[in-house]
Amino acid sequence: MISRRALEITAAALTGIFGVAVIVSSIDNGIGWSSAGVDAGTFPFLTGVIIVLGSLYNLGQGALGRGTLAIVRTAVTSSELRRLAGLFVPAAIFVAVIPLVGMYLASAGYVFAVLAFPRRQSVLRALVIAAATPLALYVVFERMFQVSLPHGALATAFGF
Amino acid sequence: MKIVSKLLLSTTLLLLGGALPATAAWKPQKPIEFVATAGPGGGTDNLARAVQSIITKYKLTDQPVVVVNKGGGSGAEGYVYGKASAGDPYKVIFGTSNAWQQPLVSKVAFNYTDLTPIAAMAQDEFLLWVKQDAPYKTAGDFLKAAAASEFKMGGAQSKDTDEVLTRMIEKVAKVRFTYIPFKSGAEAAVQLAGGHIDAHVNNPSESLGQWRGSTQRPLCAFSAKRLPQGPKVTTSEGWSDVPTCVEQGLAISQYEQPRTVWLPGKVSPEQTAFYVDLMKQVQATPEWKEYIEKTSQVDTFLTGKAFDDFIKQDLEHVKQVAGEQGWLVK
Amino acid sequence: MENLQSLLHGFTIAITVPHLTLMVVGVLLGILVGVLPGLGAPNGVSLLLPLTFGMQPVSAIILLSSMYWGALFGGSVTSILFNIPGEPSSVATTFDGYPMARDGRPTTALATAFGSAAFGALVGVILITFLASWVAQVALAFGPPEYFAVYFLAFASFIGMGGAAPIKTLVALAIGFAIAAIGIDTVSGSVRLTMGIDELVKGVSFVVAVMGLFGIGELLIAVEEEFHARAVSSRVDWKEVFRALGRLPHHGVALLRSAAIGCWMGITPGGPTAASFMSYGIAKRFSRNGSRFGTGEAEGIVAPETADHAAGTSALLPMLSLGIPGSATAAVMMGGLMIWGLNPGPMLFVDQKDFVWGLIASMYVGNIVAVVLVLLTVPVFAALMRIPFAVIAPLIVIICVVGAYSVSNSYLDIVLMLGFGVFGYLFKKLHYPLAPLVLAIVIGDKAEDAFRQAMLMSKGSLGIFFANRLVTTLVLAGIALLLLPLALQIVRLLRKTDEAAHEKVRII
Repeated sequence: MISRRALEITAAALTGIFGVAVIVSSIDNGIGWSSAGVDAGTFPFLTGVIIVLGSLYNLGQGALGRGTLAIVRTAVTSSELRRLAGLFVPAAIFVAVIPLVGMYLASAGYVFAVLAFPRRQSVLRALVIAAATPLALYVVFERMFQVSLPHGALATAFGF
Repeated sequence: MKIVSKLLLSTTLLLLGGALPATAAWKPQKPIEFVATAGPGGGTDNLARAVQSIITKYKLTDQPVVVVNKGGGSGAEGYVYGKASAGDPYKVIFGTSNAWQQPLVSKVAFNYTDLTPIAAMAQDEFLLWVKQDAPYKTAGDFLKAAAASEFKMGGAQSKDTDEVLTRMIEKVAKVRFTYIPFKSGAEAAVQLAGGHIDAHVNNPSESLGQWRGSTQRPLCAFSAKRLPQGPKVTTSEGWSDVPTCVEQGLAISQYEQPRTVWLPGKVSPEQTAFYVDLMKQVQATPEWKEYIEKTSQVDTFLTGKAFDDFIKQDLEHVKQVAGEQGWLVK
Repeated sequence: MENLQSLLHGFTIAITVPHLTLMVVGVLLGILVGVLPGLGAPNGVSLLLPLTFGMQPVSAIILLSSMYWGALFGGSVTSILFNIPGEPSSVATTFDGYPMARDGRPTTALATAFGSAAFGALVGVILITFLASWVAQVALAFGPPEYFAVYFLAFASFIGMGGAAPIKTLVALAIGFAIAAIGIDTVSGSVRLTMGIDELVKGVSFVVAVMGLFGIGELLIAVEEEFHARAVSSRVDWKEVFRALGRLPHHGVALLRSAAIGCWMGITPGGPTAASFMSYGIAKRFSRNGSRFGTGEAEGIVAPETADHAAGTSALLPMLSLGIPGSATAAVMMGGLMIWGLNPGPMLFVDQKDFVWGLIASMYVGNIVAVVLVLLTVPVFAALMRIPFAVIAPLIVIICVVGAYSVSNSYLDIVLMLGFGVFGYLFKKLHYPLAPLVLAIVIGDKAEDAFRQAMLMSKGSLGIFFANRLVTTLVLAGIALLLLPLALQIVRLLRKTDEAAHEKVRII
């Protein structure tokens, strides 16, 4: 279970960190506004400052439990969290293995895994969809539109 | 799962055309990727696609050729990609003099030495353009007026070829310009037509339509001799009627932008030789001549040592300008 | 009247069997690339380009422009059905299109979108037919300060209309600007905000951001809420298509206003994206049903779609008459024009009458072909909503992954897209608005470039934004639009009514 307060604080902290990173790297580009024009870092610097200040405000609001959604105490219940993980974790694994086995094998495996294991679909149906997906990708992208999808380190090892 | 992957592997094998027996001279065994360091529609992209269509038409190689655009960061995206693909002879990078100029003036994560030079295939010329109804007839008139008030000079990108040339004019003619960078030469041309800037140094193809439409005209060309005669652009004039800048007292005798072709680093000499030869074959076709003429470029072919020398010479030159302007990155 | 004669002549060129065939082929291919996020009209057009080298220029441009129409229509499909905008200009369509589809009315949403899009395109073509030369002159009046003023106006008309907390809106907007700034800066040529990742020199593509924020983000929300789209009846319901089209005239004011905004933004540098956002913002502000926008209101689909297509069509005009491409696709076509031996620019209308009028006539015919074909596909697309969530969810993930990759063949983009997905979920959950963020990613860097170019011209003085009537009017209109919601807020406070506070507003 995740409380709304924790989620607000996390979001504000994340945006705040991004803001600090923006400020730091824009200082490298130079900040200034003169008759020679506006320096490259000026606007990013300003946006960075706005992000940091805004995040601090949101952080305060979140921590104090104020703001538009103050009535909601719980943001994500544990069963919701399980469902979220059920979608996101396989997707993240899918993305992670693409460089290794390539888009085609990864997508086939991903589709098969999420369809067959929760036992919502029959294994046969899962197999069919898992085989059709990479085939459709290959025909549409690689053949029709000449977008070469990643073949992965495995395919390279086999000499593709 | 296993069956699927096996099936998939064998279908892919079949569809990709299978492996050919290796011969002494290197030959591509899988599809070749042409990486254009420009967005779709840009000059470099057009070149890559023209070469692709010629190769396909004459079947100069058995393998399919695919064009990929990586024009982000003024082309840096494509070069960085080339650097990351070291040792992969299936990526051919199409660029400009950006390959060695950009690392001088901005902190990009590549240098031209990370790539293997193949050839410089075509040269774009530069001209000095003013608005049609501007009072100056020659470059001399223009510079005299520029000395009196600070003119606004437009161009494509910052610290790139257009600005380098602008700064060279400043130095030679002892004037000051305000340089305003736009996304592309085409944009600068429209800004000139609208009277928002005073001049620009576009390539012929970037302003051809504008010249025909009498919204702007060239004063002089930055080349050693007049441009080759082609069909008339306006009713009375063609490219060869434009005087050289030297003729008009602006002593910049040569300034051009080559279209360059590269392989990633760490490829074998046989692989390099294959592509040099491939580009030579492309250049011998009538379609290539037609492409060069229609885009108003100059046909050249520099490879090997001649190309290296060209890069070194240009690099010295740009280094000097960049050094004077304080652009060099530490 | 000379134009009318030329147009009739153009029709004799456009309405021939080979050209009609080319239109059908082009439109179908266009719908396909439009529907697949990541692939867009520019991809499709640049792939077909080499095939056209051997064709007559007029046949070639008919093929390519038909593909463009198809892609414009197709781009709205995924926005409406899955909340994944295939093109930047169809983001605003998701605001009401997606809720309507979720509500079990995908057919109505699609038909409304296509109908109003066709109307917008028609107005755009009429404009090109009769006002081409005048319009070209207007476009020339826009220099960097005027460009900036147009972008400012687009922001002003959109910001402050969502129901989100002001500080959260501000943070989202600023994050969008920062993301837009990543990569090489046009004005200084230096590399910005890459934070040590060399590949980021190319910048963050809009498509990558949007597929994560909207596509994956929405998927996570949906799975968390255990949401299932309301059952769509399995019958192919043609009546519903016609009913939706028949209701369009009820939105006459919105149609006309949006078409005007679209044409204007298409000719001036705003482009289709700014046009659709602006049109949506203004419609919400001035419509009687404004408060229901965001919950599946038909007018909320009409406004952005009409403006998008009016702008997309009229964006071809500056390309032909001035040689400035109004969109990425137009840029590719312009490259094509040169290879076919034509030079875009003011003389094209004089030198190449057959080509220009053949093209303009084909815009009328091509759009009709496109709208007929696309309406035929409505039941097919609507049927996609019947696929069980458990099956469609992984497929959407794969589409987003492949789409992100195909933008520039980069694995980094896939990872970024997934990251944006998490942010999209978090932001949605906590009522941070996504629309200002997306608008800033799309036109933020253009606005910044224009501003800094103007500062170079004026030597750092803001006076340049009040230097002539055109730019002053634009800037003042922007300020007025920006202050309007604030003024309304104050009036509301004075009256001490808090009815607005209880309304259920969807955060966009």
